[in-house]
Amino acid sequence: MNLADFGRFSDPALLILSSLADGPKHGYGMMSDIETMTGVRLGAGTLYGALARLESAELIKAIPSTDRRRPYQLTAKGIAALREQLALLQKLASTGLKRLAEQ
Amino acid sequence: MNIRKWLVNLYPRMWRERYGDEFEILLEECLHSPLDALDILFGALDAHLELPYETNWRLMNMINKLRSTILFVFAAYVAFIVAGFSLNGLMDDSQLVPLTRSNPVLSISYATIEIGSVIALLAIMIGGAPLAWTIIRRVFTFQRKDLGLLFVPLASFLVLVGYFFMMVYLAFNTHVLDQPISSTGLALMWGLITIFAAGAIASTIAVWKLISHTDVEQDEFALLGKSATIKLYEFAYRPALIATLSMVVMFVATVVWGWLSYSLRPDLFIGNMGVMMTSTRGSFAFTLIVMTIATVTACLGIIRARSSRI
Repeated sequence: MNLADFGRFSDPALLILSSLADGPKHGYGMMSDIETMTGVRLGAGTLYGALARLESAELIKAIPSTDRRRPYQLTAKGIAALREQLALLQKLASTGLKRLAEQ
Repeated sequence: MNIRKWLVNLYPRMWRERYGDEFEILLEECLHSPLDALDILFGALDAHLELPYETNWRLMNMINKLRSTILFVFAAYVAFIVAGFSLNGLMDDSQLVPLTRSNPVLSISYATIEIGSVIALLAIMIGGAPLAWTIIRRVFTFQRKDLGLLFVPLASFLVLVGYFFMMVYLAFNTHVLDQPISSTGLALMWGLITIFAAGAIASTIAVWKLISHTDVEQDEFALLGKSATIKLYEFAYRPALIATLSMVVMFVATVVWGWLSYSLRPDLFIGNMGVMMTSTRGSFAFTLIVMTIATVTACLGIIRARSSRI
């Protein structure tokens, strides 16, 4: 699954997957975590737009909860997709930094 | 109704059933500014645009393109039938018939048109049958508001048949359709053409709307006692391609036939032997123009589908 298929939701999708990398979170938990982690504050519409797509692509899944807030966690497919995206970004970052250093 | 409920209600029903509750809780915690509300408005718009949640954008794009291809080819085929009737009217009781029989190239080109029309018809029927079955079944089960659209082709056909039988009755019991044809007879014949053309246009629009309204990407079919899930648009693509190729071949054969007939006997194209005693040349020109438009339309449809393959 390529996150580029998520259109304008591809960046929020990556942020959500990264936020869920250390365990399940509900909507507000993800929003706060992403803001702490990156300084980006996702709007509720953007968050749930990406979240619905991630769930339909089976990259995340909802887990049972006793209250109305529903937590989500990464699936095996989601972990693989996140790993792939982060490796790509790491490669891009190291290449970019290397090129800057050569200047 | 508070602002949060109002914003949640902007989303499609299916989306609300799945995410409505948790989304409303989230809004209690993070709806602080008009910018937050604007973000939700965009989110709701996105949710409405992305209808089935189990599919992704690239797949949606492919399905939309395949669907429009099928619509293009179907509309082109209906136009081709009109052109075919015009060509048939040109041949009816004309010296072009013995001329065609006497020349091998003319015979082959005309036979090519006839064979092409049968192949195109079969292709449209084979490709369209599962699609038509799905549409009919869904209209009767949960899209009852589209029942009217479903009856347009049927009603058009019944009106055409009724009118035709009325003409047969008049032909046997009165003199209005005797040769030389009277102005009343001519008016009746034009009535038949008008009903046919109006029915063809109305039916094409109705089928177009039915396909557009129905999500028929795939369906379950019982074939020879076995159930099979087929992707309807992909299944219909190959017959649509065959129908389009048939239209191209028929168009070329018509041009060859017309050009050679005119070269051999230009006198046969003078006068008013066209459909409804219209100009022979005008009738043939009409046939060619309609065939050109139909063939180009069908080819554009196929090109559109080919650009969507993933």
